[in-house]
Amino acid sequence: MVGSNRIVRGNKIVNPLGNADLDPQDEKELRRAIVENALEALQADVKEQTLFDQLT
Amino acid sequence: MRLELHKVKIQDVQFGDNTRINDGVLYVNRKELQELLQADKRLGKVEIELARPGERCRIVQVADVIEPRSKIGSQGSFGFAEKYTTLGEGETSVLQGVAIILSDCRGKGEATISGESHGNIIDMAGPGSEVSPFGQTLNVVLLPQPKDRVSGMDYQAALKMAGLRAATYLARAGENLKPDEIEIYDLPPLTEVMKSIDTLPKITYIFQILSLQFEPIPGEPTLFGKQAEGMIPTIVHPNQVLDGAITSAAPGLNVQTYQIQNHPMIKELYRRHGTELCFAGVILTVAHNNVADFDRMADISASLAKWVIGADGAVLTKTGGGAPELAMARTAQRCEQLGVKTAIAMLHMGADFKDAKYGASTIFSMPEVDTIVSMGVPYTELTLPPVEKVIGGPRSQSEDLTAKGEMVQWMGSIKGSLCQLGSSRLTAVRY
Amino acid sequence: MKESDDMLRVIHYVNQFFGGMGGEEKAETGPQVHDGFLGPGRAIQTALGSRGEIVATIICGDNYFAENIEGASEEVIKLLTPFKPDLLIAGPAFGAGRYGIACGAVCRAAMNQMRVPAVTGMHEENPGLDLYRNEVYIIPTEASARGMNVAVPRMVNLALKLAAKEKIGRPSEEGYFPRGLLVNEISNQTGAERVVSMLLKKLRGQSFESEVPRPNYDHVIPAPRIEDIRRAKIALVTDGGLVPKGNPDEIEMRTATRFGKYTLKGVDCLRPEDYEVRHVGYDSVFVRQDPNRLVPVDVMRDLEREGAIGKLHEEFYSTTGVANIVETMRKMGEKIAEELKVNGVSGVILTST
Repeated sequence: MVGSNRIVRGNKIVNPLGNADLDPQDEKELRRAIVENALEALQADVKEQTLFDQLT
Repeated sequence: MRLELHKVKIQDVQFGDNTRINDGVLYVNRKELQELLQADKRLGKVEIELARPGERCRIVQVADVIEPRSKIGSQGSFGFAEKYTTLGEGETSVLQGVAIILSDCRGKGEATISGESHGNIIDMAGPGSEVSPFGQTLNVVLLPQPKDRVSGMDYQAALKMAGLRAATYLARAGENLKPDEIEIYDLPPLTEVMKSIDTLPKITYIFQILSLQFEPIPGEPTLFGKQAEGMIPTIVHPNQVLDGAITSAAPGLNVQTYQIQNHPMIKELYRRHGTELCFAGVILTVAHNNVADFDRMADISASLAKWVIGADGAVLTKTGGGAPELAMARTAQRCEQLGVKTAIAMLHMGADFKDAKYGASTIFSMPEVDTIVSMGVPYTELTLPPVEKVIGGPRSQSEDLTAKGEMVQWMGSIKGSLCQLGSSRLTAVRY
Repeated sequence: MKESDDMLRVIHYVNQFFGGMGGEEKAETGPQVHDGFLGPGRAIQTALGSRGEIVATIICGDNYFAENIEGASEEVIKLLTPFKPDLLIAGPAFGAGRYGIACGAVCRAAMNQMRVPAVTGMHEENPGLDLYRNEVYIIPTEASARGMNVAVPRMVNLALKLAAKEKIGRPSEEGYFPRGLLVNEISNQTGAERVVSMLLKKLRGQSFESEVPRPNYDHVIPAPRIEDIRRAKIALVTDGGLVPKGNPDEIEMRTATRFGKYTLKGVDCLRPEDYEVRHVGYDSVFVRQDPNRLVPVDVMRDLEREGAIGKLHEEFYSTTGVANIVETMRKMGEKIAEELKVNGVSGVILTST
């Protein structure tokens, strides 16, 4: 990846922060988990490209 | 496994009272074929037109191209027969020189990925006909009208099936004739293929058959008659690929069923088998749309190559656009890490084609993936002259006059001009 | 020197130093003309031999040029027009940055405004390289003038070819920096033949040349972490092509050159009826059903309410990232970053397909 230093896994190319197979409530929770992971990444010190993997 | 392609060379195609071949001319009973195809209730009326090389004619919204083929002595249709026990062996009838063109008759917005231009085009004369093999084949164009209350996906699946049914229907006309040429594809199972040639490197072909950047169409017979979204990499005999196990999944970016039927990589590996290499099977894989499965598919493909086939080397191709390029590179990387040397062949779909500073024409940068063949850039422009006749496009709009006129198109819009499987001699050079 | 009809009329451009006027103290000097060759022009004239004559040398101070590139270019063009040149050679500039930029600008102006072929030379780290390499033929040189003897013949050879309107070969053959064009050519073998041959060579341990080189991406220095996220203003940016219905900014579906910014004032959650997707590289069905799947406004608002972040920035930025050029995307990113900084945004969540 060109230039990105803080990288968080999304779900799918066609559905980066969602999952159409889940019911809306669960899907929103998944989205929140990904976003919270992103916020963690913003608060982390990185020196080079780092992938922040959710534990979900 | 021994497959014989019985090729009957066709010189011209005409409509006639009976579907038969006489003196190299294929006569098509238009009404009979229409009725056969209209039996699929997902389609409205199916128009059929002919387009011959040299005619100033343009076919638009081309969804796929299929070569007429049928299994001699077996029922079912090429590509999705349920009772198809001889796939990959025995005798297959081929009408060489004929192509069935599937034209998507829905509105521009639905029939083309970007809703722009006229989707994919085949010109039968002029510069467009010179860059694509389908400008030089005798084309039978299928134009099924969409039906109300049938979804876009159902229409697309029905369109594909219509093409495959038509392919079989036409090829049956050649079955009782003496073929002009018999091409033989004969390769024993993996356990025997090395016999007497064990000093030659074992090469496997990793064939990416589907890209999940596009939602797969439920009714399409992509892999052994069914849609392949849930597939994991698997090993097949190359003859099975040639004989209908794989068809091109929509939208078929620079890959048509016709090219899979005449698979250039498989033919090349067969050509060199026994002299320079040992052709050790084909691994089918999919380009996924999420990182976890990306890695998973790469790992599985690489492990099949290394631990099941025991390959020394692998060649890889891709389908789809940019994301599959990453998938292919990741697979090659995993192979290299396991000790299987790789070479990949790619179109520059995601190319940073104007970059000068980075020197990049790939969207990946992996140290292990260092053996790359370029098969061209889809973005060079071609000026196509005006034509006398346009085949295809939605009926509901008044005749689209712009399709008849002169147009500037990217090479990638001319169906068949580029091929992700390796048949073209195009290469992209950085200046 | 005997003048013949075939002899090319060549202009040489140099800076104040190579023009023998002095060093930094003369860098403010405006453009001036000198008959015939000067300084390194002698070596260039020798390389040209009887095929060309340096009819004039234009000297300009590096600072003068750098402070007004367009104006200075205009002036230089005015000065060289009366000479009716067939060819322009600038520099070589080696590692000197302002000089490299001036050389590039002068060459470009000569090509575009006078249709005169032009060549220059500089070191690969010279800032002039990336600014002009897409349009101008630039020969790689060493960083210092020690490389003069190698650079001059190369520059002259390429210049003569350009003047003769000969087909210019590949960068590696002719010895110039790749200009960023990817051109389709016809090989004498199919892709399948070439890839199998290449693999076999690799397996046999024979040497081969990959048709496609690996890119060398710059390392981007990471921004320091956000210390207090609960007081931070966070913005959402996407390259998934999400735009308001009607695509008011006409963002292209591929190879986009524009981005848009769209208000989130009073928006708690993106509604599907308000947006569309302009992007050919993925199937947008799921995002169109619920745009929050691409730009997670709903979740960000929750987090904002709960105090997990200070504020969600009142606009989200969007462009289309498919079949695009790193340089274009980088420029867009820089612009977006500037705007966000002005608005007090300290963190960005970029979502991509």
